[in-house]
Amino acid sequence: MTFAPADFTRLNQKQDVELITRPSLSYWQDSWLRLKANRRALVSLYIIAAILFFTLAGPWLWPVNPAAQDLDQISQPPGAERTAIVVPPYQPWDGTALVQEAGSRDTEGQEAERPETGFRLAAPATTQGVRLSWEPLPGATGHRVYRNLFPVGEELAFGVPVAEYFTNDALFFEDRLDVQPGTYYYSLVGLDERGNLLEVFETIAVDVRRVITVEEALEKGLVAQAAALEPGDEVELALHPLGTDYIGRDMLARLMAGARVSLFIGIGAPVLFVLFGVIFGSISGFVGGRVDAFMMRFADFVVALPFLLFMILFKIAFGIGPGESGVMPMLVALVVLMWPATARLVRGQILQIREQGYIGASQLLGARTNYLILRHMIPNTMGVILVTITFSIPNAIFIEAFLSFIGMGVAPPTPSWGSMSNEGIRNMLTTPHELIFPAIMISLTVLAFNLLGDGLRDALDARMRNTE
Amino acid sequence: MWLYIGKRLLQGIVTVWFIATATFFAMHNVPGDPLLTDRAMSPEIRANLEARYGLDQPLMTQYFIFLGNLAQGDLGISFTHENRSVNDIIRERFPVSATLGILAIVIAGTGGVLWGALTAIYRNRLPDYIIMFLVILGISVPSFVVAALSQLAMVNINDVIGRQVLPVAGWGSIRHMLIPALVLGLSTMAYLTRLMRSSMLEIISSDYVRTAKSKGVPPARIFTKHQLRNAILPVVTVLGPSIAAITTGGFVVELVFAIPGLGRFFVEAVQQLDYTVIMGTTVFYGAFLVFMVIIVDILYGFIDPRVRLQ
Amino acid sequence: MTLVNKVANKEVNKTAGTKVDGRPGIGNGDAVLQVEDLAVEFTTYGGIVSAVRGVSFNVKTGRTLAIVGESGCGKSVTVQSIMGLIPMPPGRITSGRARLKGYDILGRKTVNGKDIRGSEIGMIFQDPMTSLNPTMTIGDQIAEPLQIHRGYSYRRAFARAIELLELSRIPEAASRARQYPFEFSGGMLQRAMIAMAIACKPSILIADEPSTALDVTIQAQILDLMQDLQKETGMAIILITHDLGVVARMADDVAVMYAGKIVEQGTVDDVFYRSAHPYTLGLKKAMPNNDPARQHTLQPIEGSPPDLFAPPPGCAYCPRCPYSMHVCVPNDPEPVVVGEGHYSRCWLHHETAPEKPPELFFGRENSRPPESAND
Repeated sequence: MTFAPADFTRLNQKQDVELITRPSLSYWQDSWLRLKANRRALVSLYIIAAILFFTLAGPWLWPVNPAAQDLDQISQPPGAERTAIVVPPYQPWDGTALVQEAGSRDTEGQEAERPETGFRLAAPATTQGVRLSWEPLPGATGHRVYRNLFPVGEELAFGVPVAEYFTNDALFFEDRLDVQPGTYYYSLVGLDERGNLLEVFETIAVDVRRVITVEEALEKGLVAQAAALEPGDEVELALHPLGTDYIGRDMLARLMAGARVSLFIGIGAPVLFVLFGVIFGSISGFVGGRVDAFMMRFADFVVALPFLLFMILFKIAFGIGPGESGVMPMLVALVVLMWPATARLVRGQILQIREQGYIGASQLLGARTNYLILRHMIPNTMGVILVTITFSIPNAIFIEAFLSFIGMGVAPPTPSWGSMSNEGIRNMLTTPHELIFPAIMISLTVLAFNLLGDGLRDALDARMRNTE
Repeated sequence: MWLYIGKRLLQGIVTVWFIATATFFAMHNVPGDPLLTDRAMSPEIRANLEARYGLDQPLMTQYFIFLGNLAQGDLGISFTHENRSVNDIIRERFPVSATLGILAIVIAGTGGVLWGALTAIYRNRLPDYIIMFLVILGISVPSFVVAALSQLAMVNINDVIGRQVLPVAGWGSIRHMLIPALVLGLSTMAYLTRLMRSSMLEIISSDYVRTAKSKGVPPARIFTKHQLRNAILPVVTVLGPSIAAITTGGFVVELVFAIPGLGRFFVEAVQQLDYTVIMGTTVFYGAFLVFMVIIVDILYGFIDPRVRLQ
Repeated sequence: MTLVNKVANKEVNKTAGTKVDGRPGIGNGDAVLQVEDLAVEFTTYGGIVSAVRGVSFNVKTGRTLAIVGESGCGKSVTVQSIMGLIPMPPGRITSGRARLKGYDILGRKTVNGKDIRGSEIGMIFQDPMTSLNPTMTIGDQIAEPLQIHRGYSYRRAFARAIELLELSRIPEAASRARQYPFEFSGGMLQRAMIAMAIACKPSILIADEPSTALDVTIQAQILDLMQDLQKETGMAIILITHDLGVVARMADDVAVMYAGKIVEQGTVDDVFYRSAHPYTLGLKKAMPNNDPARQHTLQPIEGSPPDLFAPPPGCAYCPRCPYSMHVCVPNDPEPVVVGEGHYSRCWLHHETAPEKPPELFFGRENSRPPESAND
């Protein structure tokens, strides 16, 4: 390589030597940037916003009374068939055959020839009633009728007994006990003279169709005037986007109402006990000495109380009167039991910050206590406090759900996600949506707050700065 | 070290006293009549019953009688099961809960350490992502949902196999315990996995692991001798609270799986407002947890020389 | 002490007749480690950092090579990549070779059937407080390499660990060996670290800022210990430091690093008394001096090292150099030999360069600047 002498002339010095390349950011600006860079935390933030919108604005968008029962639609999964056929008002049945077209099948599920004899439907099965008739089974002097939601199978699980006759005089039965649209498996089992079960039985599968009378349709406001309907017409029943629960309440409305309870406790309690913990911890940290030792020993005692047992104990000690929801006792119990962790944390932070050089420097420059607290203590503990609140929220939501689940939480009929799960678990095998929807709400909320907490901790923790 | 243990035990006893006091006054604040039953009661019977349970005494006298009995280990007689002492009930019910709890904490502890170490070693690679996804699920899904779902799964598995491989509910054999213990330990395991992962990550990049590498220590030995032992320390410190979480978490699992443990009994006692059982069980659980925490702390001292020798 | 004498005698024989100034083999030691054109990169969030950009040096038996430079200039990365201690990823060795006694060792764990780390090369680190395992006794940690590399039984290794602690001048070594790191002071820990690093009699000891975290009196003791052990065992030492005082005291050879490159290399006298690079000069001016005849105001080097996310195409020191020229900006200088084993990477050494600043050394024949320097 060759160079001209001009290349070897001096450069003009002092250019750009001390150029600061990155803009300086305040603590909160920097934290916000870091949080925004964390995709998981950001998504969590959106989820939390959506849940809050669901909770606060939901009841205006979906103004259905969460306590109202729709007895036509009980334990309906979302998207269930909602049409009902208009029929005349109910007439009692004397057992005479009025079969025109019965929708019975044999147990193999194929559309069978309508059986003229044996165990059979006497009329189309509707939600008004299932009319069954039969000839005596061989050797039987009486009969018992069972109903089941599942096929009988090899174990001969007949289900619930719905009728019993000790003579062969009555060979018909009408089942009007809470009949819902769907498929039922009716079994007829023979009885001997003493009322013992014989081994002979017959089983049929019955598809029940939903019907409604004109009066009922009017009453529920499904049609404007009676003249619009005639028997045989179809009407649409009320819409329940997420289905209904075991006593026909709208799941969506209940989830929204439950969200208010769960989030009120889940957010209210942490804010309150963190506030109390901050006050307690700062006093302890500032005053120091004997007061500090005494206050911290008291906090130790409260920590040692077996948490959930005392939650339950306090809840019954505060007492829930008739008609009360039990939300406030739970909130108070949470605050009473959960403040010490924050108090310890804040005290530790204050003791640590007090030892820092910049506090001494600030004092040397004549700063007063108020200024120190405002300018140094609060900004430096704010991050920790914020992270604590964020992590306490999922915890409190869990505790509420847990207590409501074991029946020690909010009192029915107040919905909360936990109590809804408790009610839903009973019908878990047949209508899982009653458990799954509140469970998803709990999990999603807890997940979002946990991930947001992770993100906040990473964003606010000064030790993490400028690494990675 | 012995001085330390003695001091901790003394502290523990004072803490149990505090728990007992809090329990006593909380219970005596409960509105309602403890002797109120469905049957009508003549004044004489009522007086007899009050005398039997000491309810005719002034509150402070009752408190000191309660403390005195407690000091002798006597927790009183049940209100609803009138011929049974609370001690008997705990003796019968607690071993079931304890077996379940021990199994759960063993599953949670070993699982947490193992998965945590694994995720740290495979940091930002597929095993890490998979396990951490499951961990986040484990932390976010409530235990009763996990319990219900696992019960559902067991029903289906038993259906498919056509035989009761794992019983859906009840108590008795190890087959009954397995799934409830797993469900009970799951959220603690998830929590411990997270803790172990961050602890392990810190240690993987620590100076002394670099030193060990510079000494030519093979990776397997670095893992066992230098990383694992140091990474477990923070896990051990939260073992006390974890035991508490698992003990109370047992309530739900016992309810869902119909296990005749103390937790389920406590919930029933609360529903029936059985005062002595509630107080006795609370104090018993409190004392149990306080001493578990002390044991864990002492155990920690044996693992960490910095604590042991100071 | 018999053992020490034996070792010492052996080493004296090896380097017999080459002693100058009480130091073994200046200029004549065998090159035990040869590093050629080593380059290391790190992939990070912000991009790729070129931490080491083509470094070559030789380390000779019984001699001490000091690598000097500011923080972040790539000193530690250089030696850690030789030891295979760079985490990969994010680290990556992009080019170069390192040969130990003629065998390539980059990316390998053994050479000639012998382990490199701990056996052929020992290493001690800056912060002894964090560099030892807090839950293992000192003795166990020193015994560990002996068990691994020499196949010693635990008892034998532990007994040897006590001897090594004695060798490192730790009093009551037998009881000290059963203690944990938190029971040791910083200086004691660094001695234990040294005992650990030399346990398997390595041919090279790498010391990464061994005295930086210690106070001054302890510093001197640690450095003395290292020197004495070198005399006894004849091992080569690579000393990484930013302290020119330590360099003057310890080093036989010096490599001055700046922004991932060696800018000047030579014997300690070459670099101190015949500095041929403006950066070396800058470092010297920034160093306090207790010679009253040569007292001067300390002059800091203005500015800070370049961002190695985007290393400059030309001389990296150019923005801070008082002699910078137009040629320096786009063109990276090649090393120019100014004396035997003494070279410098600077355009001032180019034959066309008009100006030869008098503070700098330009070789015996060029040491006097031309008359036309000040125009």
